[in-house]
Amino acid sequence: MKIAFRILLFAALAALGIWLWTVLFPSPEKVIRQRLMELARTASSSPDEGNLARLAAARSLAGFFGTNVELNVDLPQLGQRRSMDREEITQLALLASSRAGGLQVKFPDINITVAPGKRSAMVDLTVTATVAGEPDSIVQEMKFTLHKIDGQWLITRVETVRTISGHPQIYFRHFELCTAAGSFHS
Amino acid sequence: MPQNQAGQSNAGWKQPRFPRWLRIVVIGRNPKATLVRIVVLVVTSFVVFRFILLPIRVEGISMLPNYTDRSWNLVNRLAYLRHEPQRGDVVSIRLAGPHVMYMKRIIGLPGETVAFANGRVLINGEVLDEPYEKLRCDWNCPPVKLGFDEYFVVGDNRTMPPELHKHGGTPRSRIIGKLLL
Repeated sequence: MKIAFRILLFAALAALGIWLWTVLFPSPEKVIRQRLMELARTASSSPDEGNLARLAAARSLAGFFGTNVELNVDLPQLGQRRSMDREEITQLALLASSRAGGLQVKFPDINITVAPGKRSAMVDLTVTATVAGEPDSIVQEMKFTLHKIDGQWLITRVETVRTISGHPQIYFRHFELCTAAGSFHS
Repeated sequence: MPQNQAGQSNAGWKQPRFPRWLRIVVIGRNPKATLVRIVVLVVTSFVVFRFILLPIRVEGISMLPNYTDRSWNLVNRLAYLRHEPQRGDVVSIRLAGPHVMYMKRIIGLPGETVAFANGRVLINGEVLDEPYEKLRCDWNCPPVKLGFDEYFVVGDNRTMPPELHKHGGTPRSRIIGKLLL
């Protein structure tokens, strides 16, 4: 009985130790996942949000990106642009949030591949966005490249994935930001 | 010591919390057997609904009128174990994961050329008979030659302009199953 109790106690302490280790020293995957969740929350806005709050959110959103972000996005409004700096990202985010009214952004599926050196990572994710007042969500698969810069994982490359090829993936139907598809989108 | 009306002692006797009939209805006559049944049911449901039949909710109008917005269905993930997807199959196409997928109908098979002319689908230049297509359209899209493992998918509701309707080629690896109902 005493031995069983000791074994149980040891197992519980070991589990607690492992849990504490993961909390204090999270894996890069976990850090990136949390950061992307934070990004989704920051990109979301409510219809009754004031201009100041929108500006703060847009500035905060730019903080998730590197100083110069490489783009490969099917977005007519971006034309042939291949890069953007933080100020331009802030402006774009501000424009999108003010025109869309309210926006709910979610990343329901996130696949993270961290490079061997643990200094960069590739993320394949599904983005869903719901514009206030619109019944259908916007769905798009995207690829982000992240680099660890000054201890922070920053997005340095954004690219849209053509799940179904042959046609532009993103177009502006509702205000400025929308995809062609409508959780199991038909 | 408390005594009941018959003068018998109540010591050591516990008043049941629920009536006997209710216990029989809820947990059966043999609680152990009920527990085993519950475990088997939970495990079976987990395996079936996670790895074989994926429950999904349809969102959007691009499969109207055959699949309505906010309806429920199941995706059979084992449908293509013995054979490849067929023309006319309604399939689920994955994006980055299983939480959000596209639902489309296969109209073109690998190696074929698919085009739209006055709303009719042309496969290698010949008109495709589509009995499921109830809403007429006037789409005109140039021919698309599919790769060796590429399928052409499109929704049933083609009343909207083609640029507003996601359709085109998708690789076999993205097709995760066939709709059951």
